[in-house]
Amino acid sequence: MDYEVLVIGSGPGGYHAAIRAAQLGKKTACVEQEYVGGVCLNVGCIPTKALLHVAEDLREAKHAKSYGIDFGEPKVDLKKLEAWKSGVVQKLTGGVRSLLKGNKVDLIEGRATLKDPHTVQVGDRSVTAEKIIVATGSEPIEIPGFETDGERIVNSTGALLVSEVPKRFLAIGGSAIGLEFSDIYHALGSDVTVVELMDEIVPTADRDAAKELRKSFEKRGIKILTSTKALNQKKTADGIEVTLERGGERETLVVDKILVAVGRKPRGTGLGLEEVGVTVERGFVPTNAHMQTNVPHIYAIGDVTKPPLLAHKAMKEGIVAAEHAAGKPAAYDTIVPAVVYTSPELASVGMTEQEAKDAGHKVRVGVFPLAASGRAMTLGVSEGLVKVIGDEETDLLLGFHMVGPAAGDMVAEAALAIEMGATLEDISLTQHAHPTIAESFMEAAEAAHGMAIHVANKRRR
Amino acid sequence: PYGRPLAVPAARKLARELGLELTAVAGSGPHGRIRVEDVRRAAEASAPA
Ligand SMILES: Cc1cc2nc3c(=O)[nH]c(=O)nc-3n(C[C@H](O)[C@H](O)[C@H](O)COP(=O)(O)OP(=O)(O)OC[C@H]3O[C@@H](n4cnc5c(N)ncnc54)[C@H](O)[C@@H]3O)c2cc1C
Repeated sequence: MDYEVLVIGSGPGGYHAAIRAAQLGKKTACVEQEYVGGVCLNVGCIPTKALLHVAEDLREAKHAKSYGIDFGEPKVDLKKLEAWKSGVVQKLTGGVRSLLKGNKVDLIEGRATLKDPHTVQVGDRSVTAEKIIVATGSEPIEIPGFETDGERIVNSTGALLVSEVPKRFLAIGGSAIGLEFSDIYHALGSDVTVVELMDEIVPTADRDAAKELRKSFEKRGIKILTSTKALNQKKTADGIEVTLERGGERETLVVDKILVAVGRKPRGTGLGLEEVGVTVERGFVPTNAHMQTNVPHIYAIGDVTKPPLLAHKAMKEGIVAAEHAAGKPAAYDTIVPAVVYTSPELASVGMTEQEAKDAGHKVRVGVFPLAASGRAMTLGVSEGLVKVIGDEETDLLLGFHMVGPAAGDMVAEAALAIEMGATLEDISLTQHAHPTIAESFMEAAEAAHGMAIHVANKRRR
Repeated sequence: PYGRPLAVPAARKLARELGLELTAVAGSGPHGRIRVEDVRRAAEASAPA
């Protein structure tokens, strides 16, 4: 055998798996067909976050007028912006390359396919390995009638290249990717509409949190059309005429650029997995808690295994797979936080109120509005909330949902609380620094007991 | 909650390493929360003399 561990794909899942396997002394290789660092670093998390930071700066510059600072009308140099964003990506992907090298992982560039259960073909090279970890990720779903042309109708990758600011921008899909790009294009000056098939944006989020985010978007002038389907489109000289269907009624919307962000599909097919006996279901590769497929020496991790399609989940699964492949008794048993990096951010971990009820819990709910937070006021923020879900009988924290500044960082405290089995009381009793946004978590927990100090308490169930 | 015994992450990890089922460990924390010490104690008790 050429290698003890061979990883296919160098995204967050793949490079975590490869590095951990090498740390454990395994002779390891990682195969990559397109870009080292995968979707997250090249065309996902990192470039979107860079653009969102710029959007935030633009908004802040305008907002500053309300407290007496006038920066004038911001001018955006799109070329410079692109160069900066690409620079961030290059620095990080270069970092992954040197981490792989530093850990003595062989990087093999090319497209991998399985020839037999222990042999991977990359170009004209045949590589054998004792254990194989599949980390091939996912790609955007296309919808019929809205085929991307890379210019006027784009997917997330196309939307990342802001060569000009469209006058009218439409996002089809009201989840993280659609909303993040809506935020970016709106800040850059586009007139933005979001179309979502379900009856609320971010359908996986807690209802109250999603509503709060929607309110904030609408206040800013972003149009959100829920329970609406984009039926078809026609490109004309004046723009793209989109037919929308809502409650049986049809209407036409004319826009200049369309982002199709209706979801992503796993890359589990076309790799030769099924041919060597690995079960693949609708493109996803099912695994057990050790991340093994039904063929025990073949593992699968990240977007190709199952939702949620998130980078930190892929990373954790990569570590579990590598450790297990190296003979350790590792298993995936942690709870996945999720963040939408719009302004305000939406972050959550654990169960939504509905999920907790469906799981049979008698729930105790506490809400703290950021309008009552001193720190939020000093930041000029008047919207947002923290909502906690607890179990009425045991007081255990079941879920945390937040809309507000730095929600994505705040969610880490809640994730730790759930992992440690904290009760709402434990959170109330933890001294939080004042004034901070983090205090809102403590007060939401207090509110669940009708004991918050900075808001009138109404106990809710 | 979450269809798993209430245990801190380090206790879950140690139990796996020792080949113990968490359901077989008595937790000493509130609501039977299993701590690392609980797993060690259970492992000693079940170890062949
Ligand atoms: C616009 C956007 C924004 C996002 N923002 C966030 C965010 O903020 N936070 C977050 O948690 N997640 C975010 N995500 C999701 C995140 O990018 C993915 O969950 C994550 O990249 C999954 O990692 P992975 O390792 O499973 O696969 P990927 O990152 O998809 O990497 C798979 C790699 O495998 C390679 N590959 C595939 N097939 C082969 C083959 N046969 N041979 C060789 N190589 C192959 C691919 O080229 C790719 O480089 C975002 C996604 C998008 C699209």
